[in-house]
Amino acid sequence: MESLAPDTAPSAPPPIRRLDPQDPTPAQEAVPTTATSFVAAKRSIAAPQFSIRRMEVDRVSIHYGAKAAVKGVSLPIRQGEVLALIGPSGCGKTTLLRSLNRLTELTAAARLSGSIRLDDVDIRLIEPTLLRRRVTMVFQQPNPFPMSVFDNIAYVLREQGSRRVRKKALEPQVHSALARAGLFEEVKDNLKHPALKLSGGQQQRLCIARALAAEPEVLLLDEPCSALDPQSTAVIEDLIVRLRDDVAVVIVTHNLQQAYRIADHVAFMYLGDLVEYNSATRLFNSPTQQRTAEYVSGAFG
Amino acid sequence: MEEELQPEYGPKWSDQRVERMLGTLVVFIVGLLLALIVVVVINGWPSFAHNGLSWFGPGGNVDDQLSAISQSAETGAGYIYTFHAWPLIWSTILICGGAVVLGLVTALFISVFLTEFAPAWMSNLLRPVVRFLASVPSVIYGLLGVLVLVPFIGNHLITEHQKASVAGIISLTGYSLIAAVIVLTIMIAPLMVSIFTDALSSVKPGWLEGSLALGVNRWRTIWKIGVRAARPAIVAGTVLALARAIGESVMLAMISGSTAFAPNPADGLIFIYEPSRPLAPTIVKSVDQLSSPPAKATLFAIATFLLFSGAMFSLAGALTRRAMNKYGAA
Repeated sequence: MESLAPDTAPSAPPPIRRLDPQDPTPAQEAVPTTATSFVAAKRSIAAPQFSIRRMEVDRVSIHYGAKAAVKGVSLPIRQGEVLALIGPSGCGKTTLLRSLNRLTELTAAARLSGSIRLDDVDIRLIEPTLLRRRVTMVFQQPNPFPMSVFDNIAYVLREQGSRRVRKKALEPQVHSALARAGLFEEVKDNLKHPALKLSGGQQQRLCIARALAAEPEVLLLDEPCSALDPQSTAVIEDLIVRLRDDVAVVIVTHNLQQAYRIADHVAFMYLGDLVEYNSATRLFNSPTQQRTAEYVSGAFG
Repeated sequence: MEEELQPEYGPKWSDQRVERMLGTLVVFIVGLLLALIVVVVINGWPSFAHNGLSWFGPGGNVDDQLSAISQSAETGAGYIYTFHAWPLIWSTILICGGAVVLGLVTALFISVFLTEFAPAWMSNLLRPVVRFLASVPSVIYGLLGVLVLVPFIGNHLITEHQKASVAGIISLTGYSLIAAVIVLTIMIAPLMVSIFTDALSSVKPGWLEGSLALGVNRWRTIWKIGVRAARPAIVAGTVLALARAIGESVMLAMISGSTAFAPNPADGLIFIYEPSRPLAPTIVKSVDQLSSPPAKATLFAIATFLLFSGAMFSLAGALTRRAMNKYGAA
């Protein structure tokens, strides 16, 4: 079961504290409040304290055969803020997201022009598995591996190391990853239980914990809440906002209210074009483009 | 009989009617199987009763025992049942075990290659071919073994020195343990490959993608996630292959050397060139002696043993699969 007290819009995001390996207390405790934040109101979160440019999408076009999925998109991706990609189905936002850690290369013969840089290095120059550890991804359907909760996280750590590591030695890292995803308190007594027995929301947070265990610089989220109920969604949204100081977060979402709630910057894409990139408040309240205005007007009925 | 309330226009084969028909059919078939088992066990019982546990143990020359058993029906001096099956059991263990282990490893690597690494055209071409190979009658493999592999082993692999070293005990002609293991492996590996590839390609794509997105390469992903998730099907396929190997008689009768000899690994590597004969081919070889009651009991006792082993392997496979399903892999 989900925690029944989803931590809701705190006035300021609680300070993120990395775990001391010897002290596996959860990094963040939910601030118990009675109100929930399901209304499409902007979270009263403080504006980003800082932002560091981690990735740079520079005039990127992606073609599948003759079909252009993404056309000349340029975007900054910053640590310290959440970037939401919105737009109707087939607008290229997921393709763009998947190209950020070169996952597009695995599926189809996608051709990419322009450049994507991670800390000023073109990602085509980074060995793909190394890149995918620095830019990890969480998918729409929670996909925990058919292993125990512990092994789901330990898998990432074990595959990173060249030597076989004893279970005990991995414990602090596993606990800390679970804590960063706000899951540790709920599963700390059940680390040996099958991950697939967790609830949908817990499974998704386990997947986020797994993605965080790799200590990435950028976290990609592909509609992470679309398979979840509103309660679990709220928990994950809070988590995402808290994570933005540690990693650059890019989220693809169909849920405009969600984008409004959690994003600092929003990019609206339409048929492969980046129509508008702006701060969430401006893009939703005073869009400069006609198309954006038409699209986001759906967000407010 | 009370008239049932039927809708005026319904399908001719109503669900209830189909359920009754199929249920009857299944009960009939299960009954037939049970009857078969009972017949085999009852017919084989005298052999077990006379020998006790020593039936399974070593002692004497099995071929001599078999001929003594079948001739005892004509002497009038009472039936002889003395039979120590160990050389046959040992040969079955060596040949089937060797083939299954060898087949499991090869089939696993081939399946991983076909599902994850082979280009689409190659996979599309090879998978039907593998399925066809799995259905080739075993006697064809036996013929190829006799015509190609056995002469090759006899003429090129076994040295004259080796032949001379065991000349007093057994003659090394190429009909050997290694020939039987190789041909049996070739016979059962396609079955395993066909089951393993199906299992590997039905692993949830989300798991593989999830692993790839965490910076694990395709080889480690298919090995640690794909093969792991497919383990229950891999066990099922292995049990199926093992059952086929244990039951294989004609091909093994042609290639194994058909001598009731127990190759001893303690003698050094030469044991793989020594002939032997597993249980199933022994039944084929002695089938013409069924008219002799003690021989009949002995053969049915062998059949009972094979049936029992098959059941045990199925049970072990089921238990293993259950243990593996703990994390919801299937």
